[in-house]
Amino acid sequence: MAEQSIFGAAGGVMAAEGDRSIRARFVILLLCLALALSVFLSLTSGASDASAVLVLRDWFMGGAPADAALAARDQLIVYDIRMPRVLLGVLIGAALAVCGAVMQGLFRNPLADPGLIGVSAGSSLGAVAIIVLGATWLAPVTLALGTLALPLAAFFGGLAVTFLLYAIATRQGQTSVATMLLAGIAISALAMALTGIFIFMADDRQLRDLTFWQLGSLAGATWQKVGTVGPVIVLALSAMPFLSRGLNALALGEATAGHLGIPVQRLKYIAIVGVSAAVGASVAVSGGIGFIGIVVPHILRLAIGPDNRYLLPASALLGASMLLLADAVARTIVAPAELPIGIVTAVAGAPFFLWILLRRRGIVDL
Amino acid sequence: MIEARDISVAIGGKRIVSHVDFTARPGEISAIVGPNGSGKTTLLKALTGELSYTGTVTLNGRDLSAMKPVEAATQRAVLPQSTSLSFPFTVREIVRLGLIGGRSGVLPGEDRRLPERALARVDLDGFAGRFYQELSGGEQQRVQLARVLCQVWAPVLEGRPRYLFLDEPVSSLDVKHQLIIMNIARDFARRGGGVVAILHDLNLTAMYADRIFVLLRGQLAAAGAPRDVLNDELIETVFDCRLKVGALPEGSVPFVLPQSAA
Repeated sequence: MAEQSIFGAAGGVMAAEGDRSIRARFVILLLCLALALSVFLSLTSGASDASAVLVLRDWFMGGAPADAALAARDQLIVYDIRMPRVLLGVLIGAALAVCGAVMQGLFRNPLADPGLIGVSAGSSLGAVAIIVLGATWLAPVTLALGTLALPLAAFFGGLAVTFLLYAIATRQGQTSVATMLLAGIAISALAMALTGIFIFMADDRQLRDLTFWQLGSLAGATWQKVGTVGPVIVLALSAMPFLSRGLNALALGEATAGHLGIPVQRLKYIAIVGVSAAVGASVAVSGGIGFIGIVVPHILRLAIGPDNRYLLPASALLGASMLLLADAVARTIVAPAELPIGIVTAVAGAPFFLWILLRRRGIVDL
Repeated sequence: MIEARDISVAIGGKRIVSHVDFTARPGEISAIVGPNGSGKTTLLKALTGELSYTGTVTLNGRDLSAMKPVEAATQRAVLPQSTSLSFPFTVREIVRLGLIGGRSGVLPGEDRRLPERALARVDLDGFAGRFYQELSGGEQQRVQLARVLCQVWAPVLEGRPRYLFLDEPVSSLDVKHQLIIMNIARDFARRGGGVVAILHDLNLTAMYADRIFVLLRGQLAAAGAPRDVLNDELIETVFDCRLKVGALPEGSVPFVLPQSAA
């Protein structure tokens, strides 16, 4: 009943009993404001004292700045460093949280997460293969695809793992959660071992490139990266709302969802391809950032319930805000150096994950 | 009308249902009975398209295997034996899922209140705000029935009868709610719909079913009206139990029959 009381005052006005849609809309509105605030904070804070407010004022008002040289430097910092980083943070945070929610709906389990069950590991493997072998064995691929080679390799790596998991864990239309989690561990280990082989083969320059896959970071965000992965993520995420009713029905089981008129097989394929695309694109630019996909949907289910029509957009908003905040911590806590963001999300997310397990011990029925 | 001809189902190389003919008419309750493991649920899953089968199933004259899920969903709703959830849905949210793909058949404006009406019919008035996972097994079963009722609220839509498939709808219910649920089924049939139900209680079956299909080891052992099918001989062969139909207990042993309901 605690779930009901959190936002009960806001939601209980007109809604029928047991109908949380009004409360959900209210929470989504709050999350929009939170995201706007997070974007503002991220643009204005950082190792440099550059003032985003002044830059934006100059930009909008067209006034002449007092100190032209300083203004040019600030402009550079805000436009070319902070803005692409904030945009990338929004895109990736939204992608990870929504993909977590979709995976959990698909596997009918609140513990499913692209990072946990090996999808991210598969994407990393694809990306690392391109980094290490891109100039030699895989040269034709990188030549043909150019800057798309990396995100595409990450996408297919994630896709391969997701399909493999689904094939292993599903028998006669029933997906075994225990099999899925265990198979995910095995496949993750295999993908990481193969990644290890590539790291073993890598030279010094490649090694430095590789380090951030393991830890995850939004550093090195550029407009070019935003331009490459942005469309992929936006496209994949914009397909997800069409799945929300189907995912709701899937909560009752695949057979029942079918009886309710949902084309279950098509739903599964779209969800798997969409998740692989969004996670692959995210991993391609930021490496493995964990726990956003599991923590965000879980908090939101407590607040607004598991209805995916509201859960998916709310996850996108809260995921984006949370990743921006984590990035702000990563950038400032050891300034002028910065912590990989994956460390921040893991330090905050892993204990939360354990808390979920303790609270609902019965879920993983191994 | 639901017509199934020569239905066989094999799972994992083992034949569970072989060469069964089955017909369910609108306006009737068709009951499937038989001992445990006789293939009742498997037959029902074939009739609803959940399992692949050999033979043909037609739903109102159309081949079931050629129908899209959403087309089938407008003509029949299916109640499974039990449904577990891993997310904290409220009762109302579950019942509302019945309105996803099918067509309730009520006016668009009335859809909004349909979950409450369906809950009232299964005697769960005031349960809309409760969490599904906190309910007892029998209450959960009735919530699912309310969801199924929402999906085909009008027994006849655009001149075509619609169907309820119920897999052991009363197995976890107390006697009062057994009667309530069976009366809902009878009412659905009287208003022109069709009901296919797997039942274990032979007394309820005799009382409510218009036609009985008796399964034994995946084959049809008998089919027909209760008075023609239920006899001492059949019960001994099918259920491997020497029981007398219509015999009163000797002495002063009390017995309670659903037929005595006022």
